Amino acid sequence: MNEEDQDRQLDALFAQARSLRPDTSAAEFAFETRLLARLRAREETTSTQGLWAMVSWRLLPFFAVCVVGLTLWQSEIDSETDDAATIAGLNNPVAADLWSN
Amino acid sequence: MVSAKSSPPDEQLVDAALSGDDQAFAELASRHKSRVFGVASRFARDAAELEDICQDVFVQAYFKLRQYRRDSPFEHWLLRITTHKCYDYLRKRRRSGSVISVDAMLESGYEPSAPQAPAPHPDLERLHAALAQLSPKERLVITLLELEERSVQEIADLTGWSAGNVKVRAFRARAALRKLMENKK
Repeated sequence: MNEEDQDRQLDALFAQARSLRPDTSAAEFAFETRLLARLRAREETTSTQGLWAMVSWRLLPFFAVCVVGLTLWQSEIDSETDDAATIAGLNNPVAADLWSN
Repeated sequence: MVSAKSSPPDEQLVDAALSGDDQAFAELASRHKSRVFGVASRFARDAAELEDICQDVFVQAYFKLRQYRRDSPFEHWLLRITTHKCYDYLRKRRRSGSVISVDAMLESGYEPSAPQAPAPHPDLERLHAALAQLSPKERLVITLLELEERSVQEIADLTGWSAGNVKVRAFRARAALRKLMENKK
């Protein structure tokens, strides 16, 4: 069969397929009701997620201040620990000996 | 709430839906669902997939209603969304590897596209099975062109591809279909 014949056959099949549109009336029945139910469910999820996102963004400065505060407090503790260790080392004759050598 | 008796124009329903009237959007869905179902049924494999595609179309329309610019009828805008959703489903199907050979489809009693399809005709079954073998882009173009009888320009508007691109894809799709149908003989 040549290309022209195949094209003619294809066109005939397309015409046949066009005339036999699937009946979707059963699928369409009460579609609006199902759609609205889904939209409501989705809106509830979206609003919960949106609320959480909004709260987390609003709390961001607070968290940032907490992190900075904790970092400063930690460095303060570290420096105090270092001083105490130095003093303790100098009062210890063995350590002081090692230090001078 | 918008009264169904007065049958207001689509634009008025869009305004009402945008101001939070869900019944107005339900009315829009009721008006245009047949067109959406009609197009989607050319691509869906079964009733469940058809329902999924159509729901996705209207859910997207609902959440993107503000983007409807009113430079074309509401139905055109909705059909553009429908076209893109159908294309997404074709791509998803191809990615998931659920495309099987024409022979395997016919042997397994393949049911062409949608629910309650008319009595199967052997040649039509062969056509539908061959269509299912095409790439998503080719399938979309040839279906819109030959089964939905859309013009090249209309397909270009619906898909966002250039008219030249649509023509090339239609040509390739036809060549691929000829080959698939020939192999099946």
